[in-house]
Amino acid sequence: MLGWVLHNVVWIWLIALVVIFGLFNEFFFTTFNLQNIMVQATVLGMIGLAVALPLLVAEIDLSLPANLGFSSAIGALAYSDLGLPWVLAMLVGVAVATLIGFFNGLCITKLRMVSLIQTLSMMIILQGALLALTQGRTITNLPDGYVWIGQAAIGGWPVMPVIFILALIAVAVLLRNTVLGRSIYAVGGNPVASNSAGVRVDRVKIIAFTIAGFLAGVGGFLLASWQMAITSNQGSSYLLYAIAAPIIGGVSVFGGRGNVVGVLGGVLLLTVIQVGLAIISVPSFYVGMIGGLMIFIAVAIDAFRVRYFG
Amino acid sequence: MTAASARQTGEDPFILKVENLSKRFGPTLALRDVSLGIRRGTIHGLLGENGAGKSTLVGLISGQREPSGGTIYLDGRPIENVDVKAMEKAGVFLVTQEPMIIDHLSAAENLMLGIWPSRRGFVNWRKLRADAARMLEGTGIDPQAMAGRLDAVARRKLNILRAMFSGGKVIILDEPTAALTVADRAQLFDFMRQLKAQGVTFIFISHYNDEILEICDACSVLRDGALAGGTEDVASLSSAQLSELVLGRGLVLFQRERRAFAESAPAIRLRDIASDRIAVPELVLHPGEIVGFTGLPGAGAKELARAIFGLSPIRSGSIAFAGEPARPLPATPRDAFDMGIAFLSDDRRRDGLVAGMTIGENISLSSLSAVARSGFLRPEAEQALAARYFKAMGIKATGPATVADTLSGGNQQKVCLGRVLATEPRLLILDEPTRGIDIGVKQDVLRIIDELSRSGVSVIIVSTDTDEIVRAVDRVCVFDNGSVREEIFGDAISSERLRRTAGDKAGA
Repeated sequence: MLGWVLHNVVWIWLIALVVIFGLFNEFFFTTFNLQNIMVQATVLGMIGLAVALPLLVAEIDLSLPANLGFSSAIGALAYSDLGLPWVLAMLVGVAVATLIGFFNGLCITKLRMVSLIQTLSMMIILQGALLALTQGRTITNLPDGYVWIGQAAIGGWPVMPVIFILALIAVAVLLRNTVLGRSIYAVGGNPVASNSAGVRVDRVKIIAFTIAGFLAGVGGFLLASWQMAITSNQGSSYLLYAIAAPIIGGVSVFGGRGNVVGVLGGVLLLTVIQVGLAIISVPSFYVGMIGGLMIFIAVAIDAFRVRYFG
Repeated sequence: MTAASARQTGEDPFILKVENLSKRFGPTLALRDVSLGIRRGTIHGLLGENGAGKSTLVGLISGQREPSGGTIYLDGRPIENVDVKAMEKAGVFLVTQEPMIIDHLSAAENLMLGIWPSRRGFVNWRKLRADAARMLEGTGIDPQAMAGRLDAVARRKLNILRAMFSGGKVIILDEPTAALTVADRAQLFDFMRQLKAQGVTFIFISHYNDEILEICDACSVLRDGALAGGTEDVASLSSAQLSELVLGRGLVLFQRERRAFAESAPAIRLRDIASDRIAVPELVLHPGEIVGFTGLPGAGAKELARAIFGLSPIRSGSIAFAGEPARPLPATPRDAFDMGIAFLSDDRRRDGLVAGMTIGENISLSSLSAVARSGFLRPEAEQALAARYFKAMGIKATGPATVADTLSGGNQQKVCLGRVLATEPRLLILDEPTRGIDIGVKQDVLRIIDELSRSGVSVIIVSTDTDEIVRAVDRVCVFDNGSVREEIFGDAISSERLRRTAGDKAGA
């Protein structure tokens, strides 16, 4: 019983918080707020999924949130400065993000660079590059087509979360049902044994980083489309939440463990905390501290679970 | 102090005694009412299959686990509140299977690890070096040598010395000969005899009867968590009697019916294999032949095996299967599997299993493309493959969905073997396939390999276990200095011959 509770602690914690926030302010239960949470969760979800893939192969990519911001700016500039149609410009942005992920993968496998430091430096480079590109200004001249998906609603429901749901399903299928997915778990679980077992370890890691870059690129497009703007530090604020979400959801930092459902749980939990604290009007000076405390509790419970229930 | 003199002074002849010791893990009783005594200044063997309760007993004696019942006596006095600190204070030390060595520290620093001579938190380096130098005198270990460069025996010795220096009177050695060659083992045994003469008592855990018979004065055998028997005088026992105590039934040791292949056409021809450490101009394998590779560490047996599988870089080398043109040796394990070459590593924890995955997932790991269509796994195909090899290997577990981590060493080895056999190789290379697994499972593994060879697969077994070589192979290649120094065929293969061959080199 206790084992079951701890295994599903993310979801129980999520439901508990929803109830608590709802009791404080019944606005929390409104359809409008539910839609708001879904939209908010979309970008964090995309980047959380992205972060989960390198974690699963026992590496880490800290540059993903910076990649998200930088690639969306490239996409926007491809439209405004090169005059490409917005769809093509958006695809250029996503392609750049994917290439950056691929490059990170190459550095970590072929050059044997340590992922923590390599991607940290990549993060600083990309943040700096975004600042240089925008010259500190916010890009706002985004075309209508580009911002459509971030604003569109069908029957009152926002369209943007659909992309996240599709990405969730795609990554879930990839991990559960494909040779690549199985190889990802094997490489994360024991890279030396995987190599001896005939798994192409380097290739699997590179692909994981590349897919992560792609997801960050799509996330970057969605964030810009939703906000209708690209700031000179777009994406950076997501860094810690993007790493926390999959780990809270049970993705092991040592690799080989975790699944998409857990990532979803972690993403929803963090989003509910953020939105909930805003709705019950916690003074903004305290939001960071209380939010951090809630994440701390979630991680502590998870550590307890791993220790006593495997 | 000898047992006899202890008796004269009226001291308890048993330095360590346990009475009715039990240990319960949840619903299972891992150790039941074990009572035994270890005489002062003796080497006491502890035998048993995996899971018989050896580690549990040793864990209790060394204080790492708390007994559920029973008493431990040291020098005739019962120990209360058994924990590691109390037992180490009383002089009982466990030297684990994996040497606890920090590679980038010197031998001296490793020796003094955690017991640095210090004043107010500052390490007294001069005293440390002096003490270490004195301890290491006559052991052939340079105190300043980087521990990572020491060989396997030196590392074991270092651990034993550390236990002694910490005040160890009873030192428990958990399979100290794993990963040691015959020559190294002799060296370790000499070292133990020396320390014994100085009054140290050893508890010696081993899988090998011949080791127990060679070094121990007394021994105790555990089976299914209970004491199955023992003797105060090992010399009165035969190897067969020992095996029977361990297994509780007449065990039939596997012996391959050796075949002669000289006349038959070769199945595999290896040529011009060269790297920094090996130079093998030609090596021929026949269909269904089992060839043993043996030699001292670094002599080239293991290196050649790994090179054939693409695990270590080579300058040149080709392989030709019968009726096919010669090809360069595979560059990666994946290429090797695709050519029909399979390899089982000697280090299954590091290099064999993905511990967090299930048995079935481990079995299919090297043949994923065979159970997939355009990149998508076919669950029925994968489960069928897993079930087939789960059964064929005789893995003892609830089913293929069990997580591999929970299995005993022998069963984990069967999972690894199942994984490589599932690739349906033409050439199977096994590196120390039965190291660290108990004698019953060892027979199973040797039988499986024997049966496989009958279907025409050529097999290479790399082994330093002479008994295994004698029982399992048709031909032995003795490696020295990177190449095959001697080949022994058929009935000429015997323990004596192999020991002599290894001895030649060690003496030279």
